[in-house]
Amino acid sequence: MEWNEENGLLLIPLGLGWLAVWWLMPTGKQRPRILGGLAALAAILMMQLMLLPPAGDTVRSVLFFLFAAAAVISAGLMITDPNPVYSALWFALVTLAVCGLFVLNSAPFLAASTIIVYAGAIIVTFLFVIMLAHQSGTTSSYELQPVQPAMASLGAFILLGALLFTLQEWGHIDGKSTNEHAEPGQFISVPEGIHPNPLSQAPVDNPLEIGSLRVLGRSMFGDYLFAVEMAGTVLLIATIGAIAIAPRKSQGTL
Amino acid sequence: MTATALESQLVVGATLFVLGMIGFLTRRNLILIMLSAELMLHGVSINLTAFSRYHGNPQGEVFTIFVLTIAACEAGLALSLILSLYQRRKSLDVFLWGKLGEDDLPVFTSTPVPPAPAVVDPNIDLPHLTPAGRMPKTQSGTRAKT
Repeated sequence: MEWNEENGLLLIPLGLGWLAVWWLMPTGKQRPRILGGLAALAAILMMQLMLLPPAGDTVRSVLFFLFAAAAVISAGLMITDPNPVYSALWFALVTLAVCGLFVLNSAPFLAASTIIVYAGAIIVTFLFVIMLAHQSGTTSSYELQPVQPAMASLGAFILLGALLFTLQEWGHIDGKSTNEHAEPGQFISVPEGIHPNPLSQAPVDNPLEIGSLRVLGRSMFGDYLFAVEMAGTVLLIATIGAIAIAPRKSQGTL
Repeated sequence: MTATALESQLVVGATLFVLGMIGFLTRRNLILIMLSAELMLHGVSINLTAFSRYHGNPQGEVFTIFVLTIAACEAGLALSLILSLYQRRKSLDVFLWGKLGEDDLPVFTSTPVPPAPAVVDPNIDLPHLTPAGRMPKTQSGTRAKT
């Protein structure tokens, strides 16, 4: 019962979210989408109330909640829109909101590169959707018959509930942490005997400087040089694979 | 930098991940399945940058750059795969690929095979040389292999 009092309140937005996603899933029948939208709004508002009221920097908190709500709402609309073109557009909005969150996390370089990469990806995907899915001009029948919408969203929201409960538990475990010399926010102690690369030991006094190119570059090409080379190799192999897989012109285009 | 900010960001990341998972599981459009996977990657990236800021070191952001790299690889490969799949069935429906057998092959029935028509020698009109000598014996071992 104690568990119920502590965590039971989380079940309401989770259930509402499940209902909303299930209701908004595209079907052949005409459902009033406003009901699902209201349920989703209620779930989001309850979640926001449950997240502790922001302390301190008001502008930052407002911006955070704005971007977060934009990301979550756009994501929900993306997976529930029957029209794949609109889905691609909603995904672009999700990407922009996530980039806003990156900027709030003092990662401006990351935000810029994400926008550049995903802008290209989104435009290409968008062209693909228009080229492939909209040759007939009507919404295809398979868009209106999602696979097991109720069960899939139920399972996914159970996963979300597990994550949120874990998060709540973690927020309450002061003093029970296995980390003996924990900093206030550190719940995993740095293992002994691991000496970081001296290249990455750039002083990060100013938290705004974490995402700066200097610190990022020192860490990438200092600590993670091997991983960077591996990532480059993976990119090359993916390019070769994409060229090999894509249909030839001799096989006829589309 | 406060714990509140971290927890909120983790909640947002988890929500995006779960929404992407729902899209991945339920949608039947191949392109939307790929986009849903990208949505899950976005959720993970938010978590990584949140922890990066929380701990005050750039490791999380470096990981996010790697996530971005892998996402680009995945998008390229997935789009070329989708294109070649589309070329075969002329549809983006993933259900068309639910069965690994080939539909256009005839169903196997155990009717006896009709005897093959006798091969007519096209050179029957031409004069023939009488075969000289014996046929060489074939080795049974090689025949069994081939």
